[in-house]
Parts: sequence; C-alpha cells; structure tokens
Amino acid sequence: MQTRLKDLSAKKCVAMLEILSRDDIYRIHMASLEILEQVGVVFKHKEALKIFEDAGAIVDHRRELVKIPEHLVKWALDKTPRQVDLLARNPHHNLRLGDGHVHYTNGYGADHVIDFETGQRRESTIKDLEDFTRMADYFDNVEYVYPSIFPRDVPKAIVDRYIYLALLRNTSKHCANSFLDLDGFRDIVKMATILVGDEEEFVRKSAILDTNATSGPPLKYAEHTVACIIENGKYKMPATIESAALSGGTAPVTIAGTLAQMNAENLAALLLYQIVGPGTPIIYGTIASNLDLKTGIPAVGSPECGLINVALVQIAHHYNLPFYGTAGVIDAKVPDEQAAIETLQNVLLTALAGGDFIHDAVYSILETGLTACHEQFVVGYEIVDRVKRIVQGIEVTDETLALDIIKDVGVEGSYLKQRSALRHTRKHLLQEHWQPTISDRLPRNIWASKGSRTILQNAKDKAREILENHKPEPLDRDVEARLGSFIKEVAKKKLSMTGVM
Amino acid sequence: MASEDILRLVRRAVADGDPERAEELTREAMTKGQPPLGILESLVTGVRELGEKFGKGELFIPDLIMGGQAMKAGSEVLKPALKGQDKERMLGTILIGTVKGDIHSIGKDIVATMLESEGFEIHDLGEDVQDEAFVKRVKELNPDCLGLSSLMTMTMPAQRDVIEALGREGIRNNVKVLIGGAPTTRQWADEIAADGWAGDAVSATKEAKRILGN
Repeated sequence: MQTRLKDLSAKKCVAMLEILSRDDIYRIHMASLEILEQVGVVFKHKEALKIFEDAGAIVDHRRELVKIPEHLVKWALDKTPRQVDLLARNPHHNLRLGDGHVHYTNGYGADHVIDFETGQRRESTIKDLEDFTRMADYFDNVEYVYPSIFPRDVPKAIVDRYIYLALLRNTSKHCANSFLDLDGFRDIVKMATILVGDEEEFVRKSAILDTNATSGPPLKYAEHTVACIIENGKYKMPATIESAALSGGTAPVTIAGTLAQMNAENLAALLLYQIVGPGTPIIYGTIASNLDLKTGIPAVGSPECGLINVALVQIAHHYNLPFYGTAGVIDAKVPDEQAAIETLQNVLLTALAGGDFIHDAVYSILETGLTACHEQFVVGYEIVDRVKRIVQGIEVTDETLALDIIKDVGVEGSYLKQRSALRHTRKHLLQEHWQPTISDRLPRNIWASKGSRTILQNAKDKAREILENHKPEPLDRDVEARLGSFIKEVAKKKLSMTGVM
Repeated sequence: MASEDILRLVRRAVADGDPERAEELTREAMTKGQPPLGILESLVTGVRELGEKFGKGELFIPDLIMGGQAMKAGSEVLKPALKGQDKERMLGTILIGTVKGDIHSIGKDIVATMLESEGFEIHDLGEDVQDEAFVKRVKELNPDCLGLSSLMTMTMPAQRDVIEALGREGIRNNVKVLIGGAPTTRQWADEIAADGWAGDAVSATKEAKRILGN
C-alpha cells in the first residue's frame, strides 16, 4: 500500500479533548476513595481476603468484603510503573503504552460469524479465528491482536490453549489472551514459556503475555478473576484493570456516579496486583457502557460509552497510568450505517482524548460483541485510518506554513504548475493528506462505469484479497511442534476427565 | 371518597410505581370495607397497564420494576385477608438464580422482577449458586419452574450440571427448567435438555408462560 499516509503514529499525540475539569476529576477520585473505605469491594477468594488483611485493609471474611483505606491506594499507585511494554513474537511489533501515542487493536470474542461465502449467520469455528487473526496481522492499524473469535467447535475445557495457538500461528504481533479459568492461565503461561525458550526467559519476558481483571459490578470480583490476579504475582505480566459497569443497571444511571464506582473497582484490583506483585505494569481501563433500559441489554455503541472512555482517559492520566479503552463496539446487527456510526463516534472521541490504547477500535463484530463480520473488519480498519489522521493533527512549522511556496505561486498561479509547489506537494502529500482504502471518491461517471460499488462491496473484495494472499510470518517449526504436542497432552488429560469430546 | 375512587387510586399508585402509596391506599381500601379480591384486581390491573405501555416502548425497565414493587407492597397488606385465595391468581412459582462461578446479577434480577410483575411467585437464590443449592431448594419449594442464568460463556456448562444434578436426584421431571443469559442459545438449551430458553429479559416472561402452559 504505497499510497498510504506515512508514519501515522510517528508524532506524539496531545489530548485534544477533555470533558472533565481538574475539580471534576478530584471529586470523582474522592468519591471513589469514600466508596472503597465505606462500602468496600467483594473479592470472592479466601486467600485474597487474607492478603488484603495482612496489607492493612479492613476485611469482613463472612461477606468476603474488603474495605480499603486511602493510604493503601496511594501506596499501590506509587508502586505502579507509568509505562507498559508489550512484547511481540517479532520484536518489530513491540509496543510501549504510555509514551503519548494512541494505539489501536481489534475486537474480542465473537461466538458467531456471518459466513464470508454464504452471508448466513452461524456459530464460529477455530478456522474463523485463524482467518480473522490473519486479517488482524495484515492490518497495520491493529497494533496487537485479540482473538476476535471465541470458537464453538472446541470443547470449553481446552479452548484457551487452542485460541492461543491459533493466534501465534497467524500473527507475529503481541497476542492478548483469554483465560477462562486458572488452569487456562497456567497453561497459557506454559505455552508462552515454550515460545520464548525456558522459564527463566519467560520471567524476563513475561510481557509476551498480558492479563486482565474484569469486575463484576457493583463492586465485586469473581473467584477465577482473583485467582488469576494472585497467580500473576509470580510473573508480573502487564495487567489491564477494566470495570465492566453498566450505567443504569450495575452502576448509577448518572455517568458521574458510574465513573466513581468504576474507579473504585479499578483501584481495588490495582491494589491487589501491586500487593502480590509490586511493580506489575497496569493499564487502567474500561469495558463499561450503559444498560439499555428498554431492552435490558447493554448499549455499547452509545454516546455515553464514548463519554465514559474520555473521562477515564483523564482519570487514568491523573494517576499517571496508561489507559485502555473499549470504544468502537457495535449494537447494529448487520454491517450498516449504524455500525459505522457507532465505531467512528467512540473511537474518535477516545483517540481525541489521548487514550493510550483503544481496544475494539479496528472493530469487526456486530450485535454487542456476538457476531463477527469480515467486511466490518475492513470498515473498522478504514475508520481507524481516518481517526489516526485526525489525531495526527496539524503541524505548524516554517516548512508546513510554506510561505516561500505561497510567494512563489503568488496570485492566480497554480500549485499544480509551479515547480517548487509541486516539489513541496510531493514531499508532504503523504504526511498531510489521508488516502482511503475502501471509501469512494471517484467522479460519478467513473464510479458508475466501475459498477456503482458500495463501501461494503469494496470491503468484501479487500477481505477476500487478504484471506487469499496474506501469509503471516511463520512460527518456528520446532516451537509449533512443541506447542502442538503440549496441547494434545492437555486435551487428552482434560477431555478424559470430563468425558467431553 | 366513593369506593370506586379508592380502587382507582390503588391502581394508579401501582402504575406510578409508588410502593409506599400503594401500601397506604391498600390499607385505606381495606378499612373502607373493599373486598380484598377487588383490591388485588386493582393492583394487578396497574401492573398490566405498565406491561402494555412497556410493550409499546413507552416505558423503561425501572418503571416496570417499581410498578411490580408497588403491587407487591399492596399484596403484602392483603395477604392475611387473602389466605387460600391468592394462589389462584398466581401463574406459578419460579425459583431463579445465577449458576456457579458467575457473579452477574443484572439479567437475572430483571427477569425475576418482570416475572414477578406478571404474577409469578419468585424465589431468588442470588448469584454464584452451587448445583446442590439449586437441588436442595427445588426439593424444599417444589417450584413449577427453575430459572438458570449464565452471563459468561465459561459458566454456561454449569446450566447443564444443574439439570444433570436434578436428574441424579430423580426430580428432573418435577420442574420445568428455563435457561437464559447473553451467550446462551436455543440450540444450547436443546443440547442440555432444558425446557425453555430466553435470550433476554423481555422474552423470558413469554417463554416462562409458554413452558408452564399459561
């Protein structure tokens, strides 16, 4: 793609958009501290309760409730690094979060797919995961890769391992994982150990993986989530803390109250990460939105979702932590205008706010994260491409003000004739003017003569081209073989235990 | 105040979603000698009005839930007077809970409240409920229907576990099982031999009525 804008991420981004004043941030922070001290957070895990108690929190063991004093929050924030490195199989794709740039990634976990050939909605498979991962590998706007698909044709007891192997085989970028339980977490660590060499090497390079803690709002963490937090103390791999509050359902209907509760949930998880693994890199995040109070299901493409993301960018940065946003998710059931509006609205808002890392930006999944669609993935790519240009902003220097060129061309001259102007244009065109991949800008007659194509038809062609031609950097043969036999061994054990095949 | 007026006010207190006022007016209606079944009818009509408006998209879930709470507040007052009579009105008893390993309550809570406002008697076991706890309560309560909620893909298998546990105890055929939650599908319900499936809170009421033959 030679005609693409160059070095989109090269320039440091400044926050162009703030919606909270300093006073607002302070009031939310204080409200969160009051929640942590007076209401507390439930951790459904006996060992965690003991750990909190030893650290100085007030613990009610019967209610599994932890009340957290301010000084512990402060201690934990002081322990947390300001930047987070994510390592990739190919070091060229290593990422640093918190250095002032906005980074983007794809969506997570669709269990249905709109079949690329038939157009029919069906359950997803491991082959779909490989296809979407290959597309994610191809798209330079996907800077690290989530499993877009949660395959339904692999037994749940072993699916985490198959997902990780499918990711590794189809992309050399950093892979985010899903762990359904502590066993899954441990097996993924074993697989990453095989990937990097040995255990010693893994402890050094644990950022080849990352983990997360999602709250079960209001103010609660599930047993398996807490177990994974504690296990991570051994490795200190980068961890995302992400409140899953739904304003109006599991958090107040008012966005300010939702933010105060989310922040309390996030800080409680951050504290546990720091107690069990001081210095664990933390990405401060959200997967929150509001509940649609007519249907009882989340409204993920809502303007409120965008506002929550922008506000939390400011709060994360107030704590000197990099931010992880979930913006770009879609309520629409088909890849239509609504789908594009929803992704663009919330990705643009979060990017303008300077969100360090935007999950679900290059989005490919319809229907509240349930149904993946190849065409939508290409549309998501194009949306992020536009957003990146906007976030790049306008550079004002002697060279870009171009006074000498303006003088050369003078009045009634042409920038398409004057040689110095043409040189200046050719030099700066690709830094200044964004070029579409699938959006149409042809004059009507040419557009008509080429078949009056829509953006979705163009997206489908692009997806087909990628699926047919893109070959990811292959996994080392020996490593692949060892991963394969590791999974087979796990499958044999797990499946004979449960009797599921 | 004319006697029909007080009944209208009872109905409106429910339709306005005002539990305190519904309770107060129910007491007043009793004092004024209104027959308990007539008062109950007003309470139920209030909820039914809300349900109709909700169905047309004119109201929100909290409106419906507050209406349900208002109806319940009124019925509590009537309870002693209605002994033996109120069961006729009830569509059935439903035991509900979120399965083990899953701490999500929101979907289950909405379903429970909507079923309650439709006239089902609801017993809520809460979240992260172990298989044995479901079985134990089914034995004690003998409900018409058991509702199993799972919001996460990883906890869906627990719905099967509960159904199998009921089978082992020989009580599977005593109760209809209704499963639901975002990741669940009709296909999954069929696979684990559940009697009904509801993908969202709103359709759960319809499905419960369907499998209970109401």
